[in-house]
Amino acid sequence: MKNAVGRKMSLLLVLLLSFTMVLSACGGGGNTPKSEPPANTGGNNQGAANEGSSNENLSPLELALKGEYKGTKVTMFGPFVDADQVKFESSIKEFEEKTGIDIQYEGSKEFEATINIRVDGGNAPDIADFPQPGLLASIAKTGKVIDLTNILDQDKLKANYNQSWLDMGTMDGKDGKILAGIWNRSNVKSLVWYPKKQFEEAGYKIPETWDEMMALTEQIAKDGDPAWSIGIESGAATGWTATDWVEDIMLRTTTPENYDKWVNGELPFTSPEVKRAVEIMSDIWMNKDYVYGGTKSIVTTAFGDAPAPMFTDPPKAWFHRQGNFITSFFPETAKVDEDYDWFYLPSIDEEYGKPVLVAGDIYAMFNDRPEVRAVMEFFTTGESIKTWVQSGGVIAPMNDASLDWYSSESDRRMAKLVQDASTLRFDGSDLMPGKVGAGTFWKGMTDYVSGTASLDDALKQIQSGWDN
Amino acid sequence: MVGRKKRKGNKTVVNVVLGIICFIWLLPTLGLFISSFRPAADILQTGWWKVFPHQEWKAGETVQLSKDVDLREPIEVNGTTYTDDQLKAGVTEGDKRLVWENRRARTINMQERGWEVKPDFTLDNYKNVLSGKEYKLKLGDGSETVQKGTGLSQAFWNTLTIAVPATIIPVLIASFAAYAFAWLRFPGRKTLFVIIIAMLVIPIQVALIPILKDYTALGLNGSYLGIWLAHTAFGLPLVTYFMYNFISQLPKDLFESAFIDGASHFTIFSRLILPLSVPALASIAIFQFLWVWNDYLVSLIFIGNQPNVQVMSMKIADLVGSRGNDWHLLTSAAFISMLMPLTIFFLLQKYFVKGLMGGSVKG
Repeated sequence: MKNAVGRKMSLLLVLLLSFTMVLSACGGGGNTPKSEPPANTGGNNQGAANEGSSNENLSPLELALKGEYKGTKVTMFGPFVDADQVKFESSIKEFEEKTGIDIQYEGSKEFEATINIRVDGGNAPDIADFPQPGLLASIAKTGKVIDLTNILDQDKLKANYNQSWLDMGTMDGKDGKILAGIWNRSNVKSLVWYPKKQFEEAGYKIPETWDEMMALTEQIAKDGDPAWSIGIESGAATGWTATDWVEDIMLRTTTPENYDKWVNGELPFTSPEVKRAVEIMSDIWMNKDYVYGGTKSIVTTAFGDAPAPMFTDPPKAWFHRQGNFITSFFPETAKVDEDYDWFYLPSIDEEYGKPVLVAGDIYAMFNDRPEVRAVMEFFTTGESIKTWVQSGGVIAPMNDASLDWYSSESDRRMAKLVQDASTLRFDGSDLMPGKVGAGTFWKGMTDYVSGTASLDDALKQIQSGWDN
Repeated sequence: MVGRKKRKGNKTVVNVVLGIICFIWLLPTLGLFISSFRPAADILQTGWWKVFPHQEWKAGETVQLSKDVDLREPIEVNGTTYTDDQLKAGVTEGDKRLVWENRRARTINMQERGWEVKPDFTLDNYKNVLSGKEYKLKLGDGSETVQKGTGLSQAFWNTLTIAVPATIIPVLIASFAAYAFAWLRFPGRKTLFVIIIAMLVIPIQVALIPILKDYTALGLNGSYLGIWLAHTAFGLPLVTYFMYNFISQLPKDLFESAFIDGASHFTIFSRLILPLSVPALASIAIFQFLWVWNDYLVSLIFIGNQPNVQVMSMKIADLVGSRGNDWHLLTSAAFISMLMPLTIFFLLQKYFVKGLMGGSVKG
């Protein structure tokens, strides 16, 4: 009997010990930093929305600049890492110093995968930066995104943004349309890069129309080089470069309304409009004399390595169609405006004017607190991205961002291109649901280019993404 | 005699096969190691095996074609005609190879084979990874400033802070549990044990969002405590099962004699079980440590990317840039992150051998 009691005692002891161990672990964690935002004062309703501005009729941003929100924290989550994060943080530094608001930016390469989990888990950041509006749209439908209509001064917004940007920020909320986010950073995609010095030495002229561009391509082929360097390999995202081409050509061969329908899934991939766009693309892509390394190398060349042949002496390829971010892959020794430059991917059918394909970052708000409002308002001003604009590689979508800020002629021309565009459309594959835009569309184009599927089969395969 | 010879022959075969398997396994690591010392431009252009002496075509005589040659028609060079495609890929003729030197300038090169070594090595990759990359920023007045990014050191300590408790806590709890399941008699013992074993088949992904919700309510997100608890919970079933298998196999006589000598359960556990299970503890600790050290998913969800708590695996992923422009840095980053698990393995390896050689019962 005594033994049994002793056994029970030791069992208790063991249990106690393990318990204290867990407790001591808890104690150790007590002083770890917690980035828990304070209680949500405003809530998700818009009823309290105007109280900030009713205060002496100052906007949250003006109040913030007066030091009203000193010592507060705003958490932000987005996909900028590495150099982008440094540029972003130096752009907001002055604002942080002036207002005393600490913007805690957290960048992750897994942003797309994580943001849904964070929002579902009730751990949403105050502000999130979406590189794909399609992703924001799907979260906006759940009603977890705060409607900015009553939070930001609409007249100021209208004055500072091209209407297309505001339209692209308006999305379906839980009950009706909401202004789900504002645009802060944009990329221009309709660009063809070329080695400027050698291009001029060879006596070539910048093509104004698609036919001129094809003639020049043929001319360069006759002179001995394939004109285009193309690469669509990008790991699990292989194929996205091809979708950009199709989108750019779609804008040039059909109406903007058709483009919107296509993006919304109302115009199927199997329709003649889309087929024609891919065929026009194929005139370049499927001609082994026009593509560096031949058609086969397109699928195996990493998109970032693709521009390399333009920078050998003499160039082995002459044209590379890609957004403005590609310059970060150019050799460090190459100088903008001297060694390389870009021209606008020419129009095909004159009636559709000068459309420009863009991409960008839309900022959405998840927690409504006065200091978060102030930061959101700050992001609608050009000032919030000034340092980044000066460092190159981005275009500010706001009208109050001066063209003088751009430190290279190339960037300045880009900003002007966006301002003067007759039609501005967002990267279609980023707007489509993930299953199509980042799924069958990428895969179908890759299959078509690599020759494993015929054009019709590939388009059918892409379209099937909508049905699933 | 015949039998012994046969055995010897067998041994050689086994050794050779093992050697080949080891070589195949180590080859990628060797490639990675060599790549980590190569300049970025070289990594992009040529394979790592090119650092060894190898035969390569070298530029020789140049043949100039006249301006009016149509490049898409068969081309005549020194009396033989070739197609354009042949010249693009290169045609071998004896010990020479004909290939376009510059198609635009219409020059064809007659290359010859020769030995070549490319001994370009650099420490830049390690420097960039360890002490942070440098970023150029342009200011409004046109001047440039250079900002230095953060290196791996902070992330290294963060990972260590997470990995050590996240190894010790589950291993200790699991040893207690294993002892209880093996040698204590209490109601519901079998049912409890089956439940724990059943936990092994549940993928951790299904638990992420519910736990995240609870953590948000408790304010545990982004804290070390939260991630220790998460790793402990996810690791417990396997560690318990493993320790149970070991502890339940210890001879019963040992405990009975200890009881007769008046030892309590706690004494038995601390004086007998723990010293005897050092080999098992060491191996499971290595497993758990490796798992936590290499973990990406659990940290991604519960810790996030704030620099003060960010773990190495996430920091390394971020080093390559938003668009993957600096992927060559992964080579050296991989080796740096590999160091710690290797050290742990070699340190604890001693205990493996000790525990195995010592035996459990003497006499």
